[in-house]
Amino acid sequence: MKRFALLTTLALASPIAIAQVDFSGEWAPAHHEDAPERLPGPELGDYMGLPLNDAARLQSDSWDADRISMVMQYQCRPHSSDYGMRGLGFMRVTTEFDPVHRELIAFRTYMPAWGSERVIWLDGRPHPPAHAEYTFQGFSTGVWNGNRLTITTTHLKTNYHRRNGVPSSDRRTVTEHWMRHGDVLTVVTVVDDPVFFTEPLVRSQNWYLDPSQQVRQFFCEYVTELPPATPDSIPHHLPGENPNLSLMAEWYGLPAEVLRGGAELMYPEYRDRMPGAEFPQPEVCEVYCGCVDFLTC
Amino acid sequence: MKSTMTSRIGLGGFLAVLCLAAPALAQGPGGGPSAEPQTAREVAPVDLTGTWVSVVSEDWRWRMVTPTRGDFASIPLNAEGRRVGLEWDPEADEAAGLECKAFGAPAVMRIPGRVRINWQDDETLMIETDQGMQTRLLRFGVPAGANAPPSRQGHSVANWERPAQGIGPRDSFGPFSGRIGQHPRALEVTTTNLLPGYLRRNGPPYSEDAVLEEYFDHHVQPNGDEWFTVTTVVTDPTYLRGAFITSTDFKKEANDDSFDPVACSAR
Repeated sequence: MKRFALLTTLALASPIAIAQVDFSGEWAPAHHEDAPERLPGPELGDYMGLPLNDAARLQSDSWDADRISMVMQYQCRPHSSDYGMRGLGFMRVTTEFDPVHRELIAFRTYMPAWGSERVIWLDGRPHPPAHAEYTFQGFSTGVWNGNRLTITTTHLKTNYHRRNGVPSSDRRTVTEHWMRHGDVLTVVTVVDDPVFFTEPLVRSQNWYLDPSQQVRQFFCEYVTELPPATPDSIPHHLPGENPNLSLMAEWYGLPAEVLRGGAELMYPEYRDRMPGAEFPQPEVCEVYCGCVDFLTC
Repeated sequence: MKSTMTSRIGLGGFLAVLCLAAPALAQGPGGGPSAEPQTAREVAPVDLTGTWVSVVSEDWRWRMVTPTRGDFASIPLNAEGRRVGLEWDPEADEAAGLECKAFGAPAVMRIPGRVRINWQDDETLMIETDQGMQTRLLRFGVPAGANAPPSRQGHSVANWERPAQGIGPRDSFGPFSGRIGQHPRALEVTTTNLLPGYLRRNGPPYSEDAVLEEYFDHHVQPNGDEWFTVTTVVTDPTYLRGAFITSTDFKKEANDDSFDPVACSAR
């Protein structure tokens, strides 16, 4: 009994890292921003809203979507965890507790796209050394700041910032701020990619709690859909030879310059010096006009 | 006798720890003592004042450019909302002096620009926008649904976010069940009494029955930049088939040199 009293006293007197908010549950994404990009997929050559440098543009311009059909390395390639948070994003969050101390030590996220599962460690463990394994989900640790959970993710494989070929490097670090307000979850993502960005990319995504949602298994099969020109060929466009980069300007009546992205185009004052469009804006919207979810896109 | 003594030690230690834990469990929303708050300004858990710029990393072609008529992508309009939206007529709006219909509270934070936030008084946060030159007043300690006439910015009731699950921090039972939601940081705002307006510049409508809920969260990035994100939830039984949820990110600026007031435009 005395031992019980002593242990109780010690346990309660020590700082207890209790969870501040429960993020577990079935979260349905609110595709109320950029739905055409996130659901059916981005248009070719659309780099708007990304703080790209020239190296990123060069690599993006070389992208040919036939790679997915012809090159095994590009088939069934998962979304990295940072893209996953912006992409389709049906998400199940579960908790993991220390079996002895009953303290929350991790959140696990599962997204059906490519069966992506991530662990967000909350037990104070350090990130592994730089030479440790890199994965599509990376290594994530979280710390509480009041009700907000701030997550740092490193050890991410190269992937894409946008799935029309905009590359992301394995040197990027991703910071997330998870904030729950009632049944709405807002996640701010800050992607610092020194290889392809001129400044960190800050965005925020929203989910709503949907207890009836059942996130299911994902299937992907490696199939060569088109015969490659040669066994080792990688579909691509050489610099200046991609015919698809201006299509969006024509379809939407946008100045071609804006499609190229860049940090300077992401600030309000850019509107004052935005050039005129080369093509007229359509009289009425024709593409993805009511795109909000899988049924309407 | 020994057994009784041991029990007393155990109970004493237990109570002592409870006493030690009590102050932490009884903190107010700002993390300080739970004495009756003096003013909203004094108990503010975060400082949202300053000049902030919206960095347009989302919805670029629907925000930086006025979209094509009928381009309502990402907005959960119902059939009536789409029908009314397609009737968008900027010339008629200009003729009627309604150039600010896209600058109402449910939409103005999404328009690329700068906002200046200050305390108008101890119970009122004021948001000024340079785009459209709008002024929003977020009032603490006033009842919802006040009888003020409808307006472009409506009637906004503000609160510092309370702990989750509707119970106060004092209701915690510390030793064996840690409280969740003990240190909220967000500003909650509910806005009603709105004039009808547009959710975007190209005419997707909201009605006078729309209700706007907002959550302002302040965060600091690894490079030291200060940001706030406002999560915006618009419900409108007239024109929306579900809640319209967006979140918009603002970066703090060193001064308001770039705050550039511009009148509303219907186009």
